[in-house]
Order: sequence, then C-alpha cells, then structure tokens
Amino acid sequence: MSDRREAERPSVVIGRHIDAFPGVLREVCAGAEEEGVPTRVEPAGDREVRDAAALAHSAALASGLEVGVGIDAGGIIAVHHAKLPPGAPAHVTSPGAGPPDWRRAGQVAARIVTGLPIAP
Amino acid sequence: MDTRLVVGVDVGNSTTEACLARVGPDGAVTYLGTALKHTTGVKGTPENADGAVAAVREVLARAGATVGELHTVLLNEATPVISGLAMETITETIITESTMIGHNPATPGGEGLGVGVTVPIGELLGDGRDSERPVIVVVPHGWDFDDVAATLNSAVRDGVDVVAAVLAGDDAVLVTNRLEKRIPVVDEVAAVEKVPVGMLAAVEVAPPGRTIRTLSNSYGLATVFALDPAQTRQVSPVARALTGNRSAVVIRTPTGDVTDRLIPAGVLELRGAGKTLRVEVDAGADAIMDTLARAQPVDDVHGEPGTHVGGMLAQVRDTMTDVTGQPASEIAIHDVLAVDTIVPAEVRGGLAGEVALEHAVALAAMVSTDRSRMQAVADQVAAELGSSAGVGGVEGAMAVRGALTTPGVDRPVAVIDLGGGSTDAALLSASGETTAVHVAGAGELVTKLIASELALDDREVAENVKRYPLGKVESFYHLRHEDGTVEFVDEPLPPHVFARVVVMTPDGLVPVPTRHTLDAVRRVRREAKRRVFCVNAVRALRQVAPQGNLRALDFVVLLGGSALDFEIPDMIADALAPHGIVCGTGNIHGSEGPRNAVASGLVDAYAEEPG
Repeated sequence: MSDRREAERPSVVIGRHIDAFPGVLREVCAGAEEEGVPTRVEPAGDREVRDAAALAHSAALASGLEVGVGIDAGGIIAVHHAKLPPGAPAHVTSPGAGPPDWRRAGQVAARIVTGLPIAP
Repeated sequence: MDTRLVVGVDVGNSTTEACLARVGPDGAVTYLGTALKHTTGVKGTPENADGAVAAVREVLARAGATVGELHTVLLNEATPVISGLAMETITETIITESTMIGHNPATPGGEGLGVGVTVPIGELLGDGRDSERPVIVVVPHGWDFDDVAATLNSAVRDGVDVVAAVLAGDDAVLVTNRLEKRIPVVDEVAAVEKVPVGMLAAVEVAPPGRTIRTLSNSYGLATVFALDPAQTRQVSPVARALTGNRSAVVIRTPTGDVTDRLIPAGVLELRGAGKTLRVEVDAGADAIMDTLARAQPVDDVHGEPGTHVGGMLAQVRDTMTDVTGQPASEIAIHDVLAVDTIVPAEVRGGLAGEVALEHAVALAAMVSTDRSRMQAVADQVAAELGSSAGVGGVEGAMAVRGALTTPGVDRPVAVIDLGGGSTDAALLSASGETTAVHVAGAGELVTKLIASELALDDREVAENVKRYPLGKVESFYHLRHEDGTVEFVDEPLPPHVFARVVVMTPDGLVPVPTRHTLDAVRRVRREAKRRVFCVNAVRALRQVAPQGNLRALDFVVLLGGSALDFEIPDMIADALAPHGIVCGTGNIHGSEGPRNAVASGLVDAYAEEPG
C-alpha cells in the first residue's frame, strides 16, 4: 500500500473504524475480490465518532471508482456511492449481520462498480 | 317524438361502459358523456345489474342530469363468454448419476481444462492415495477460501497433480487468486456432496467473455474420456446441455446420462364438420391448430381426463354450467388457441440448480352460449332506477355501429375487440348485415406466456411487463429506455432497481426479477403479443370476411382494452397491411378512443328506431 502506484490504482475504498472487528474487513474485501474489483483500506481514527454511512461516504469520495465502504466500531457496514446523498447509502447491514452478510456488503460495493444488480 | 334522454350500457367481460345522449325528435343524437365501471359478476348474468346501475348513475351525475329525466336505459344483448388457460410442459431434462454440472456460475475461477479423478478435499493429504493420477478436488460447504487454497498449495508441493476444483461456496476467484498453480475452478455447486468420488471427471472454465469449447463438443468429450462411437452418441446430450456456458463439469459414471424426455400430455379431441379428429397435445401448437382448421366449424373440444388441458376444458364447461344453469352436455367449446412456448424448468437430478428450457404448449379455450339473461338484468336495472330499461341490441352489431362514429370509417367495416379472455370480431357489410365471432385467446394468455417464459412467479409483474415499456437502470442517476433514449433523473434511483431491467409503470420503476437482458425481455413480450393477438386478429377476421377473404375487407377498427396497448395496434396493423386493409385504433365519436363503441352503438340504434 505504500507504493504510490498502488495507491492510485482505481479501487473501492474501505473506511474502517480502528475498533471494528478485523473479521468484518476480511469478508468485505473477499466479497469484492470474488467479483474481481480491487479494494484499498483506509483506517479511520478512533476519535472521530462517525457512523458507517459517514465513513462510507468519505471513502466513496476518496475512491477513484466513486464507491466506498464504511465499517463502524460496532461492525455495521455501509456501502456508498460518491454521487448519492451522504445520508442515503446504497446498502447497510443489519446489527445482527454475520460473515455471509459482511461478504455480501463487499459484493454489493463491487457490483455498483461493475454495474450488476445489487438486490438479492 | 319529443327530445329524450337515453343511456346505452355495454356490459363487457371486465368493464361496464355507459353512454348518455339526447335524442332529438328528428333522431339527431347529442352525446352528453360516458362512464366506465367494473363489471359485476359474469357477463350476461343477473349480477351485472349492480355495475350497470352504477355506470348509469355516474354518467348522469357527470352530465348534471337526474334519474327522473331519464327516458330509458338500453342494454346490450351479451352472451356469457368463459375462457380458460392451461399449460402442458412436454419435455423434461433429467440428469442421472450426477453426470454433469452446468449451472454457469457468475464468477468461476481460473481458466482452462482439467481432467482427473474426483477426490474430496478432506482426503487430499491422507495416506494411501494414488499420487500418480491427476486429481479434481471436491470442496464441501464450510471450508474457508484461505484454508482451501492452503490445502491445495500444500498438496501440490507434496507432488499431487491437482488439475481442477469444484467448490460448494461462491469463492472460486478468491481460491484461484491464492493458488501457486493456476487451475480451473467451478463454484456455487449447492449439492456438491452428491458429486461421485473416485470418478474420472473434467472441469472446464473459459476466459472471460468466452464459452467452453471442449465439454460442449461431443468429440471433445470423446477425446477427454477416450469414448468409442457408441459412448459418444450417449454423451452427446451432455455436450448439447452445456453449450453456451462459461464453465462446466462432466463426470464419467458407468451409466450416467442426460436425457431429454418427452412427457405424454394426452390427447385433444376435436369434433366438427361431421368428423372427430384427435391430436396429441405434445405434437405442438402447429399440429393442434392444423387439426382445428380441418374440423371447422368446431362443434366441441374435449381433453384427456387427468391432463392439465383436459382439466381446464372440463372446468370451463363447469363454470358455464354454473353461470347459465344449462346442463354440461349442452355446453360446447367452439374454439381453442394453442401456442408453443419455452418454459425454464429446474433440471431433475441437477447438482447446482441447473435450468433447462423445456418445450410447452399453452392452450386457451372459450365457450359461449346462446342463453343470455340480459332481460333479467334489464328488469333489475329498471326496478332499481325506477325508469324503463330494455335490451337494445346485440353487442357485435352495436360495436360496428359505434365503430362507424370513428372519423374516416365507412361500410363495410369490421371491428376487432381485443379483450382479456377472447378476441371478438364483427363485420357490418355494405348492405347492413352483421356477422360476429368470438375466438379463444387474448390478453390473459399473453400475460401467462410472458410469466412462464420469463419464469416470473408474480402475475402482477408479468401484467406490468405486458402493459408498459421497459428500461434499464444504468446508474443511480440515469436509465436507458427500450428504444435507446437515455433519461437523467434528479433524485437518485433506489438501490433495488440498480442495474436492473425495469418496467416503466405509471407508479414508478418496477424491477423485473430475471437474469435476461432488456432485449430478451422485450422479445418475449412482443412475441407473446404477436402469437396471440396478431394470429387471432387474422383468425377472427377470416371467419367474418366474405368467403374468408381478408382482401374483401376495407376498414378494420380495433376496440377494447388491449386496443389502448402501446404496441398491439401497430403490430396488428403491420400484420394486416399485406391484405390492403386500413387498420387502426378506434376513436368513438372522434373523442372516446377505442372505448364505448357498444354503448354508443345502442344509442344510435335507438335513435333510428325508437322503441
């Protein structure tokens, strides 16, 4: 990731709260990778108390593909597009979500990039 | 005669229409307004009175008139027409002994062809296995992609010749990205535990944008499995079933097979023209319609008990018996329309929910009776409104009369009423005689064909696909209509329609739950309409045209709900154009569109000969 070229490669940006359970990030990345879309992780500071949608929206603004994923401290995942209103993410996991739902969130992010249906 | 206020009421299968007019002493007609209500009960039965009264009250209220001013209500002589639909699937694909996996997952991994013996991943690193032979690894549910990749990598380092893998989960790309040796991987095999172990198998994955070349080719299979000509003949259905896929698995089992079975669908018996002709339903729509043509005019149609078609014909007969009180023996089915269709169905014996396109025959049947109870409806309407009411004319004759009020139309004129259950035609000759027919098959059959060909469980969605144009949502802010024009929207489109084929209904975008492209959905929709309405327009007109000659017709006016469809009138006009016919959607009184023809025809007939 320190490689500058790597940083400039268009990718889905994942903004992850540093307190989030690492397993969530792994599944989100796997979901996007299975769809063939690259991801880049940007940890968010613990002092910024922000929800998943806000994390996802800033990640989307930082993404060359205009798609971002936010993972908040509690492991809630939001998927966002830079052109959507900040308060209306494209997809949000429910509080009781498990690994298959985390994987699906990554898949949804990738599919917004590739233009495939995101509804189940 | 003084000036009289009259209302013509047309009781149709689904709607009841009213037309209010003032008839002058000289017979001059001034139309004052129209109203549209749902028909109550089956057309031609006393239950119609409620809908008729409601329509009369509404049209009077709109014109600011009262029941007291009303001279009379004129009803159409309507005979009950009951229609039924049935679908008989006539082919079935069965996979025995798990011979193949051909579900075409969205994201297979790697590419190329691997041929080897199937081994469960749990036994890959065990002792006593035959390390000489190439291996296809079978991975059950519950294995994480990192563990699968680590196990395969370690087996390869141990000298196992791993040539391919078959996975239960959706992680083929994740696994192949972590392998040191590139192999083809097929995933999302739901029933992976049914894959026979220790069998010679082949896995093929084509590069993105390509389809498999070896396993979809009979001789490719013969080469891979060293088959003799007799065996090659046996596996050729497997090759055919896999054609067009990006990935596939074929497993060589002693007697495994893919069969295309013909399902016996029973016999249809057509009586008419002094003959009794029998035709197998599985012979297809063309054979059925040819037989029907040889039995014209048809007296009655029977189906084999125990088949869908037999059950449907019996039910249509029973319903008519209930409605009219006539014994079933007196009720005859005078017409059927058979249409060949393709139905996606899950393959029996499949490991991954494979879907095969099966052949089916859809059949619409129609029964009408001479026994109408419209006089009873008229009596009830008269009692409720406290005015006079009577039967003013036969609907076919009234429809052509009403159609004549369309600007640019002259005698001889034929009308085609595109309804829900039946397509009706009537002809008014230059000398003033009318002939009318009903043929089976109309809007409901179109909906059924669309629903089954696109595998739509929800009838409402199929109805929407029939009625409105399609679009494809291309981003959160724009969509492309089926004609290629692009529309930008100010408010972001909701995620549930993102990248979906949608129907542009007046209430907003409704996603079509299908993997088909917009073009494929559009083709299904137009073909369904063509095979029902264009075919029936010609069939019905032939029955009313002099000597069955369409060239003898000058003007054809389209009426009924489906005449308001955004493409059916154009499709019928195209179909009739070679016969030199002027065809178009009616515009009753130059203002009502294809609605209200019968109701205004009743008023006009009254004005000529006041009862």
